Amino acid sequence: MAKVTDIVLWDKPGEKVLLLGNHAIARGALEANIAVFAAYPGTPSSELTDTMAAVAEKAGVYMEYSTNEKVAFETALSAAWSGLRAMTAMKHVGLNVAADSFMTVSYMGVEGGFVIMVADDPSMWSSQNEQDTRIFAKFAQVPVLEPSSPHEAKEMTKYAFELSEKFKQMVILRTTTRISHARGDVVLGELPEEIKLGKRKFGKFEKNPERFVDIPAFQRKKHSWVLETIEKMREELAECPFNWIEGKEDAKVGIIAPGLAYSYVKEALTWLGVDDVKVLKLGTPFPVPYRLLEKFFDGLERVLIVEELEPVVEEQVKVWAFDNGIRIPIHGKDYVPRVLEMTTRRAVTAIAKFLGLETPVDFESVDERYKKVSAIVPPRPPSLCPACPHRNTFYAIRKAAGSRAIFPSDIGCYTLGVLPPLKTVDTTIAMGGSIGVAHGLDVALNGVPGEKETNEKKRIIVATIGDSTFFHTGLPALANAIYNRSNVVIVVMDNLVTAMTGDQPNPGTGDTPHGPGKRILIEDVAKALGADFVEVVDPYDIKATYEVMKKAIETEGVSVVVARRVCALHHIGQMRRKGEKWPIYTVNEEKCTGCKICINAYGCPAIYWDAEKKKAKINPLMCWGCGGCAQVCPFGAFEVMKEGE
Amino acid sequence: MVSEYNIVITGVGGQGILTAANLLGWAALHAGYKVRVGEVHGMSQRFGSVIAYVRFGEDVYGAMVPEGKADVILAFEPVEALRYINYLKEGGLVIANSNPIPPVQVSMGLATYPSMEEIKKIIEEDFKGKLITLDAEKLALEAGNVITTNVVLIGALTQTPGFPLSAEHVKEVIRLSVPKKAVDVNMKAFELGVKAAKELLGL
Repeated sequence: MAKVTDIVLWDKPGEKVLLLGNHAIARGALEANIAVFAAYPGTPSSELTDTMAAVAEKAGVYMEYSTNEKVAFETALSAAWSGLRAMTAMKHVGLNVAADSFMTVSYMGVEGGFVIMVADDPSMWSSQNEQDTRIFAKFAQVPVLEPSSPHEAKEMTKYAFELSEKFKQMVILRTTTRISHARGDVVLGELPEEIKLGKRKFGKFEKNPERFVDIPAFQRKKHSWVLETIEKMREELAECPFNWIEGKEDAKVGIIAPGLAYSYVKEALTWLGVDDVKVLKLGTPFPVPYRLLEKFFDGLERVLIVEELEPVVEEQVKVWAFDNGIRIPIHGKDYVPRVLEMTTRRAVTAIAKFLGLETPVDFESVDERYKKVSAIVPPRPPSLCPACPHRNTFYAIRKAAGSRAIFPSDIGCYTLGVLPPLKTVDTTIAMGGSIGVAHGLDVALNGVPGEKETNEKKRIIVATIGDSTFFHTGLPALANAIYNRSNVVIVVMDNLVTAMTGDQPNPGTGDTPHGPGKRILIEDVAKALGADFVEVVDPYDIKATYEVMKKAIETEGVSVVVARRVCALHHIGQMRRKGEKWPIYTVNEEKCTGCKICINAYGCPAIYWDAEKKKAKINPLMCWGCGGCAQVCPFGAFEVMKEGE
Repeated sequence: MVSEYNIVITGVGGQGILTAANLLGWAALHAGYKVRVGEVHGMSQRFGSVIAYVRFGEDVYGAMVPEGKADVILAFEPVEALRYINYLKEGGLVIANSNPIPPVQVSMGLATYPSMEEIKKIIEEDFKGKLITLDAEKLALEAGNVITTNVVLIGALTQTPGFPLSAEHVKEVIRLSVPKKAVDVNMKAFELGVKAAKELLGL
């Protein structure tokens, strides 16, 4: 089990390795001789970006963590416009941020291959919605490739660059969580000499305003190019190596399985012991190659489309069938759920229903027996880590602002502040949304200076936003709030790393994969934009944080408090690697009165309740030594036990 | 060679579940199997309930074990074994670390933690499985570092009747995977897990 960053650079063609889908895509990009990679991290796409960051210098690839998906898209695009192979990666909702550029660039096309890896998250394991990127591809009339395994993800990445270059159009490589975060056996291919030597590649930009300037006069001529190109691709993709027909040639029933659904269908057919079906394995859900459909539908009497989320393939197939006078039953979303992720169970159930068979496991009986389990298993949602500085910040905010205050928040670990006991998150929408919502609430509930009338019963509004999110899309919202004379408090929870997605650097840390960048201090930005109150606090000092919050709330106008303390998980990881120790706290049972403030108001996961003794206890394996408990306990019951691990 | 072997690993985010899944995946790969490992990343990892899947054989495709198809559930925390018990096949084995980590909701009095008897009863009677529990944390400390709890459990897993990989092979993969200075403690942890499971399974 070698290190992943070594494996993706291994010059061992033919070697079989176990790689995460995202790692496999990174390897695919290297095998394709990529020159520029730019992205903003978003689960489930982040490991691709991190792997590229880790190998960039050695492979001679320029790599950056951009401040958001739109600028990442533009960075990589420009390389592709300069004839280089370039890639960006994002999660599905990241494409919304990049959408403004993306929708227009489809009219302009590219020179070098440009691949946009978009990781969808069906079932929303780490996301706010489960939008289907294949619809976005259709919206922009850009082709989308969808792998069925980690190995195929690698191979498809190479193919995506070739396809993009051949048609001079961007290509989306769409994964879902179970490709991005699934490990599978991957066979390494050849690395190009330039990657092996770490030779940086430079492009050549040929000026061509008619192509690269999107004024209406130029663009009007190009929409038809987009439509013609996608139809040419539809034709070409009938020969795509990731599309094929398998199974019994003269079968009467057929199953179409795009992307990862193919894996579930294969498994379901084995499990059901069914072999008299024809399967269309589809790696290109948009555009569906019609020529392949002609071949597939030949002799079929019934067809089932097993696809995850939206009926993207189903709609294309049905339109094609109607236009071609084919009137056999075509099933899809009437048998396969449209929400949450595909599973083997779902595939088995749909296929069994389609073929009139029993499922091999009586799933309903399993569900019935499981009901009893659901009733007695306590919930265990994710929580802020022990020693997480955000817990202290929330605690101080709540104490200073009171429970009547409104707390708009944002996308990051700190969104977990919504859970009891902290409950200091009242709204979240999307990256950067906290500040916009805070200002909007102030307008709606309080009124702003200069208006003829304002509400006398003012509500306190305290927004929270992470450091990376602040730079991502918080900045325009902050400018807007200051410009429009909001009276809100904005707390930037600066844990000096983009924690939720895996500790990536951002402008607030100043590090880049190529060495030091220029660090941007959040407080300087807030001052420069004209905030009325700016202070930096250390949330490990709860009292001082509380006092600054009080002052910020009392100040008229936009107050910005930067609560700065490194992410505990990141910090503990570094300490472990260095073999350093940290203090561990324990409960002095004589002093603990059993008031439960530490549990009911503070909620550190290392603290639990000893029901027999009616005292708080600390799990020493989970204590990361911040000492927050000692600060919130009114009885001084928390004490340092000994040096830790 | 088996056509399919399914392991579900559960526990609390931060217990080394993904590392365990990855180690087992590599062991299966080195044994010549086709492998799939399914994981949870991002926010879900933060001290929440975590599930990972390890599947290998000649006919595995998806990264998730279907319900009713797990040969073994390896639980790093007792209640997490119960939470995912619907994955266990009839006659399957549950190997659980006996150290409960009460969720915050339990400490706050908003939920109760079921007793070991209740957990055992549901696993064995309703889901027709077999449960063995071991104090893996204690054994890990005995080996020299609590961080090897996952290796203790992997050692125990290799003793499962019908487990397709040899204990020596898995041990070797771990030896080659961990940092050099941590080899001895991990090897000891593995052996303690093997020994505990042998006793519990009456081997």
